[in-house]
Formats: sequence, structure tokens, C-alpha cells
Amino acid sequence: MPSDLVFNIQRFTIHDGPGIRTTVFVKGCAMGCFWCHNPEGRHSYRELQYFEDRCIHCGECVHVCPSQAHDLRDGLHHFLRDRCRVTGECVKVCCSGALEMNGRVMTVDEVMEEVLRDRPFYQTSGGGVTISGGEPGLNADFVRGILGRCKGEGLHTAIETCGYCSWSALESLLPFTDLVMMDLKVITPEKHRLATGNTNEQILANARRLAATAMPIIFRTPIVPTVNDTVEEVRHIVAFIADLIALRTRGGANHRSRISYELLAFHKLGSVKYRSLGLEYHAIALDPPKRRHMEELLVLATEAGIEATMR
Amino acid sequence: MDVVTAKELTYQERIERLRATKMRHTEEKWRDIGVLDMDDHGLILPPVGSRRYVQVISGSGVPMKDALFADFTPKSNHPSGGIFGARACGENFHALLEMHPTYVDPVSSLAGCYMVNFLSYRQPAWNPDFDFSHLKVEHELYGLHHGIGAVQHFCQDMTIGFTLGWGGILAKIKKYRMINRDEEAQELYDGLEHFVLGMQTWIEKTARAAREMAEVEEHPQLRENLIQIADMNDRLIASPPQTFREACQWMLWYQLAGKMYNMGGSLGRIDQFLYPFYVRDVERAILNDEEAIFHLACHFVMDTSYTQLGGPDASGNDSTNRLSYLVLEAVHRLKIPVNVGVSVGEKVDPALLRRGVEILFEDKTGIPKFLGVDRTSEGFARNGYPPALGRERAYSGCHWCALPGREYTVNDCVKINLARVFEVALQEMLADTSVTPSMAAVWGRFERHVRRSVAVVATGLDFHIDHMYRVFPELHLDLLCHGPIERGRDASHGGVEYVNLCVDGSGLATVADSFAALEKNLELETRYTWGQMRQFLASDWDGPEGERARLMMRKTARYGSGGSRADEYAVRISNIFTAAVKEKPTPHGYNMIPGLFSWAANLLLGKDVGATPNGRHAHAMISHGPNPDPGFRKDAAPTALALAVAAVQPGYGNTAPMQVDFDPGVSGSQESIDSIAALIRTHFDLGGTQVNINILDKKRLLEAHEDPSRHPGLVVRVTGFSAFFGSLSPEMRQMVVDRILSQE
Repeated sequence: MPSDLVFNIQRFTIHDGPGIRTTVFVKGCAMGCFWCHNPEGRHSYRELQYFEDRCIHCGECVHVCPSQAHDLRDGLHHFLRDRCRVTGECVKVCCSGALEMNGRVMTVDEVMEEVLRDRPFYQTSGGGVTISGGEPGLNADFVRGILGRCKGEGLHTAIETCGYCSWSALESLLPFTDLVMMDLKVITPEKHRLATGNTNEQILANARRLAATAMPIIFRTPIVPTVNDTVEEVRHIVAFIADLIALRTRGGANHRSRISYELLAFHKLGSVKYRSLGLEYHAIALDPPKRRHMEELLVLATEAGIEATMR
Repeated sequence: MDVVTAKELTYQERIERLRATKMRHTEEKWRDIGVLDMDDHGLILPPVGSRRYVQVISGSGVPMKDALFADFTPKSNHPSGGIFGARACGENFHALLEMHPTYVDPVSSLAGCYMVNFLSYRQPAWNPDFDFSHLKVEHELYGLHHGIGAVQHFCQDMTIGFTLGWGGILAKIKKYRMINRDEEAQELYDGLEHFVLGMQTWIEKTARAAREMAEVEEHPQLRENLIQIADMNDRLIASPPQTFREACQWMLWYQLAGKMYNMGGSLGRIDQFLYPFYVRDVERAILNDEEAIFHLACHFVMDTSYTQLGGPDASGNDSTNRLSYLVLEAVHRLKIPVNVGVSVGEKVDPALLRRGVEILFEDKTGIPKFLGVDRTSEGFARNGYPPALGRERAYSGCHWCALPGREYTVNDCVKINLARVFEVALQEMLADTSVTPSMAAVWGRFERHVRRSVAVVATGLDFHIDHMYRVFPELHLDLLCHGPIERGRDASHGGVEYVNLCVDGSGLATVADSFAALEKNLELETRYTWGQMRQFLASDWDGPEGERARLMMRKTARYGSGGSRADEYAVRISNIFTAAVKEKPTPHGYNMIPGLFSWAANLLLGKDVGATPNGRHAHAMISHGPNPDPGFRKDAAPTALALAVAAVQPGYGNTAPMQVDFDPGVSGSQESIDSIAALIRTHFDLGGTQVNINILDKKRLLEAHEDPSRHPGLVVRVTGFSAFFGSLSPEMRQMVVDRILSQE
């Protein structure tokens, strides 16, 4: 049975597809978006998270760590991340919850046990299960296993993808998927590379291929100051989506499947997680876009005839 | 005359003025009597200069400072200084109504307010001749809210009043006085007659005051309104109401009297008993919806009582009607803490639920609440009653229902502090040197003490029923019940057809989490010994070692996390509590119905309990109702909460309400509204009985917590009731704040 690293299973998510959903976050993403609000999903290996503000400096972790990654000096705890071998021994004895293991190897069965708890709510609300990340496309075997089981249980399924994965991986998920939510962050290739660390040819190619299928799609753009919060950049994205809609409409039988668009305002709720992972948060100086500005950008999409929302 | 003041006021403008007046009264209460950890009953303080202050215990058991008329002193009929029995209570209440100032707001379509709690004059509350010291040792051992001396907390049938009017009620008393000649009946009739005569005096002098005000009122619209109030109230002194407005006025008088008499005043199914008036007036074209909403708002601004909207009729068909929506609209426009419950059930109009959720998002006042009417009516039938009877039970109090006019319940008055019972069991085992401490040994003792605490409560309830009519009879509710006048017996003493005594368990999560934490850390992982645990608890987790142990115990997967041992313990605890309440009636044969609810008393109940193994500090509050403790899951998933609370329902018609607190991250989008509606519906499908929801702006809440005057209009749902945040004690405010912060 496939198993892989999961960093969170969140129940009652209501913005990751229709109805009440459970979102399973798989670990590992090849993008390096500096504003990412789920930095704990970036690496495809387990990491220790240290929440300094919760620590009571009791020193229990010092005694059990096999690699001397914890140190108590002058009554204060210091975590030496470069020594950490991620055994998790310290997590077991940490009473305050300051030390947490980010990432747990789970089997499909284990994921399903948690996911199925909310089945009555999916049924009443038209909800289901969403696989997010990280990047589901980089964990395709595992994700396919979950999606397949969900379909077997009669649940609605969705994936959230950044699109930066092989088409074959993404395509392999589609038979078990009812909805794809895909990020389109920047169209201009160089700007995309600067913001995310990667070029966007593969993403755009995947988007085109996806649009050529019958799959309902919600394209999403996190509106991030200095990256893509300009009219010009959003116009590029809107034009790209409009082309895909036109492509799908020309495709005949597929035209009934919807392509819509969501603009998501950048926020800084993930900043604490950066600190806990020993990562620098480069978006700290950015301010979330104003609602009025978001509305101006939204109009660009609706004027282009695209069904669009913002939040 | 000033052109501006002569302008015709719209209904909405009048509602806004009423609300502004209400806020002035509320802020005056904050300044003058301070905090009030209970419902906002709409009381207006006595006039400045004629107030005196007392420290009392409220009708809901909360210590409070209260303001009384300085120039009214009741006549005691007992050496203790108390006022006991129907005659003395009736006489004194009559005298109070004789001197009570009138209140007429020219903007409102209805007259009247109440200014004092008669309860606060009645000191001592219990007649010391009826000694229950033999029960007190165990009452104190278990920290019980035992219900002896409990008042109101059942529901009248308003249609009796609407049919008879005060004159008809008086005639009915006189008729039955001639039939039931025994002393108990005669004393009751004396009390009831005094009550009605007092009401008639109060209404008559208010009508006169309105007429006097009309003579000097310059605003034509308001002058006309005052004349209407005077005419209407002149008619209502004796006659039953004829129009929708008159029915609202009659209802308001009755409710005000109930609040003043013993803080009673459950409304019940307002959209049913007012509906005939609404239909008739609309057909006669003397009422439109805007005016109906206005009259309802005029009522609610003075009386925030508990009301059910929609729900099944006796045959199971939905009774939701146009008026159900108008009541919701009136509450929506007022934005004060009115305790309205929206029915949700298989046959109930789903649009009512949706409108309720929309208002929840729009107003952010925790109003309305939601009632799982199918589950409560089915559960009631499990007591051996026909299903139709269960459907007639009306939501009329914090977490409770009652058969209007036919059932005596002492709902919400008895609390078995399960956390204290657990503490007794644990300490008993730890002190017993003849046993090896173990989970099984704690559980066995806990089960035994749960049964014993229920037995103690049952004996106490019999004692209450034996004597209450001679202490403080239910004169107010007796008037509109089927039986008390006919039989000459107080509702508490055989006056009504059904007696179903509510017995609630409190502190479920505290106990379930304690069991799970002990099992994990002492038995499975042997991290601590029983001896160490005894020390930790005795010292309230003193010192660094104690604090580490406390945090480690708190780390145990909690009730609500889903599939945990604590979840299993919670179900087991609910089961043994339910079984203990249901295995037999009280010694005198009265049926008891279990529920899980702490009301806002979880603060008070916690003061009786030392440190508990779930990492709770000594004397901190115990868990709220059947809810998991805040922080039960990292994602605080409401679905997990809904599953947990649905799984612990006692299932006999009384409730175990789920409290959900959302941060404003849950926006008011259509998808959010749909999801919350689905959450509520599914919780009821799974067996849930009531849902209370807060959607609060965290920033605003924290600002108000620091300085309540910054957001005087902030209304929060505390528990079964909503309240102005600024009215609550710092501890109670902290409880609400903690619940919201735990959503992060």
C-alpha cells in the first residue's frame, strides 16, 4: 500500500472546493515561492519544528537527543538545527508542544480513517476531500491511492496543484478527481522565475493540457505585492485563462465543464511557521492587498467574461 | 413646533431609537450594579435617588448586586424575615406593583418595563422551617446545584391569557375558589388574586400615564401613539387582546411580571400563539409586515425571553409561517441579546435555517440559536410518552423545552458536577491503602459516586416538591397553566399534568480528558506513578516539575479529537450518567430526564474542584456543557466537535447543546452560509439537540475585553443565552475570549 509524508489533515475546510471538506496536505513541493503560507509543505522529508514561544526551557529534550541538537545554556533552551537527525525523541518528551514533528508517514488506510470521519458532513453539504500540499503531483502514487479510495467511497475529490510537476503525474490523478484547483501565479516567465525559483513553461503547458480535458478547473492567483498585484500582470493571467476557456469551448463535448478563476489575497498567517522551521520569511515586509484593489483586479476577470471570485 | 421633530418617524427609525435607549439603560446598569453573568432580561433600574442595593443570588444561582426601590419594604410573615407561601408572596408582589413606577416610551408601540427583582426582596429565599441539613453533607461533597428552591424554568401556555385576559383569569380564580375549599387551594387563590389585581393596577396606572403624556406631547405621530397606548391598556385591564398589537402588549405585561416575580418568562412558540392575531389583522388590513416587525421589536427590546420559531405541530407537520420570519427580522433589526431559536428538522422549512445562518453572519451576535426539534421530540417519547406530546414541547429556556402550561420541570436548575464527582472518586481511591491504584479502580468508584450523586439529587427534588409551594409558589406561571387554578395546587405541587425533572451533568470533557490522561501517562507509558499524581494534584501542579507534569497530561489526545481514548471515555461517562438518571424515578416517583449542560455555571462549579489530571488548575472553570475543551484539536474542526457532541447525547429529550465559536475567517459568503447550515443539519441528523454559534471579530472582542466601553453594543453568545459582552464578569469574558483564541 502506498504511503507518504503528510504534514496536516485539516477537517472542515470550506474554501478548498465545494461544501464541507477535509484537506490532506502532502509534503514536498519543487517551487520556492517566498510568500508561501505552507512552508512546512515544501521539503519532502520530515523536519523538526521548534515553536520558541511555547518552550518552558525544562531541558527534557537535552537528555534524550541522540545528536546533541538541544542545548540548555543559562536556563535557556537552544535548538541547533544543523545537528538534528530528526529522530523525534525530543518531541515525545516535550510537554509544552514547543517541539513538533513536521511530517508523518501515513498509509492510504490511515489517511482514509481520518478522512471518513466527516463523511456525514460531505453528504449533507456536497463536500468531499481535497489533496493539497506541497504538491500532489510530486506524490502521485500516494495521492492516487487516496483519491481512488475516496471515489470508491463515493466522495467528491479535488486537488490543489501549483502545476509544477510532470503532466504524466498530474494526468494520472485525473480519473479519480472531480475538480482541479491550479495556481497561475505569474505569466511573465522571468518574473515567475524570480518569484518562485522556477520558470513557468511546464505550469502553463500543464494548464493547457488540463484545459483540453473535461475536468472542471478553478485557476487561482495569490495576489502578492511586488509579484503580481498589478493590473498588467493580472491582465496577462486573465488573457491566458480566457484563451483556455475559448480552447475548451471549441473542443465541443468538453465545453460544459467549467473553468473559473479565484483571486486570493496574500496574507501573513504562515510567518510563525517559517520561524519554527528555521527559515527566513522574505514576505514579512509586504502588506496584504487592500480589498478595493482586489476588487479592481477581479473586475479584469469578470470583464473578460470569466466567472471569478476573490477572497 | 420644530419641523424636524414633527417629521413622521419610520418604523426603522423608531427601532433605532429604542435600541439607543436600551443601550443607555444597559450602560447605566454596568455603571451602577456592575457585571451580570446571565441573560439580559431587559430590566431598567429604579429612578436615580430611589435605589438601594443588595447582594443576592439570582434565579439562576448567580451571585449578583441588585438595585431595589429604596422606598418599598415588603411585609415578612416569618421570624427569619422571609416571605413565604402564596398569600404572603401574592400580597407583597401586589404591593410592589402598586408602587412600581410607570414606564411609557412615546417611540414604542407598547408600554411597560420592570425595575426590580422581587426575588431580591425575598431574603432568605428558603424557609428555614423546612430543614434539609440532612442532605447538605452530600450536596457539598459533590458540589451539587441541587435544585431545592429552584424557581420557574418551565413554560406557560400564553393562549390561556390571550383567551381570558386579566378579567377572565380573575373570574376563573373566583370560580374555582368556590369549588376547591381546602386551605392549600384557598391560600393559592389568595396569592393568585393578589397577583392579578396588582397587574390590573399596574396596567391601569400606565394607561393613565400614557394619556397624561399624550396631552403634552407635541409630536403628532407620537401623541397619537400615546393615545393608542392609553386606549389599548385601558381595554387590557380586564379584556383579552383583540389585535396583534394588543396581543403583544398583553404578552409584554405578562413577561415583565414574570421577570419581576422570579426572573421567569419563557416565551415558547411565539410564532404560533401570535399567528391568529397576525392573520386576522392582515386580513382586516389593519396590519402589515413592517408594523408587525415593529411591534415585535418593541416587545423584544423590553423582554429578551426564549422563543422557538418553526418546528413540528402535534401531528409532525411543519408549523413555520410568515410570522416566524418576521420574528427573526425583528431580532435582526434590534441586534440586542434576544434568545431566539430556529427549528431545524426533517420537515421544517429549510429556508428558516438558512435565514437564521445569514443573520448569524450579518449580525455577529450569536443569534439565533438552532434547535434539533426531531431529536428532542423523539427523545422525549423515550420517557414513555406519545410522540405527539414530544412535538408539543416548546423551546423556552437556555437549553430546554417544556410542554406549554402542562409540565413542571425545574429545567436548567440541577447540575451534577461530574468533575467534582470524579475528584471524590479519585481521592477516595488514592486514600485507600487497601487497593492498588488503577484505572479500573477509579472508574468503578466514579460510577458508584455518579449514581450516588443522582440519588442525592432525586431525594432533594422530592423535598423541593414537598415544600416549594409553601416557600415561593409559581404564582406567575400558575396563572397560565392548565391545572393550578382548576385544582387549587401550585404547579410545583401537583398543579400540572406532567412532572419531568431536569437533571444535567456538567464537566464532561474535564472528566473524560482526565481519565484519558491518567490512562496514557500512568498506565500505558508509566511516566508518573499514582503517588506522584496525588502530589501533583494536591499541590496544584506546584513547581517546575509540577508544571511539566501538568503540560504533559494536557498533551494527551482530548475528547473531541476523534477516535481517541478521551472520546471513548466521554461516551462512557455520558452513558453511565444517563443510566443513573433513568434507572428509576425519584423516591416519590417523579420522572427525571438527563441532559448535559453547565449553563454559564461552569465557572462557579469549577471553584469547587481541585486540580484535575487533564492539566486543569485547581478552582479553574470546568468544561462547558457537553463541549470538548478549547484546543481539543489543532484545527478546531467544527465537524469533529459536532461528531463528539452528537455522540454523547443522553437522548431523552433534554439537550446537550453544542457551542461552536468561529473566527471571522469564516466569511459570510454563500459557501460559508451553506457550510454552516450543513454543519448544523448534520449535527442534528447524528443525534445532536441544540447548536449555539458565535461568529466573532477577534480584534473587536479583544478590544472589548480590555475595555468594554469601546464596544458597548458587542453581543456574544455565552452559552444557551446571549449577552452584551460588557455585562459579563472578566472571568466570563475570558471564557469567551479563550474559546475564540483557541480557533487559531
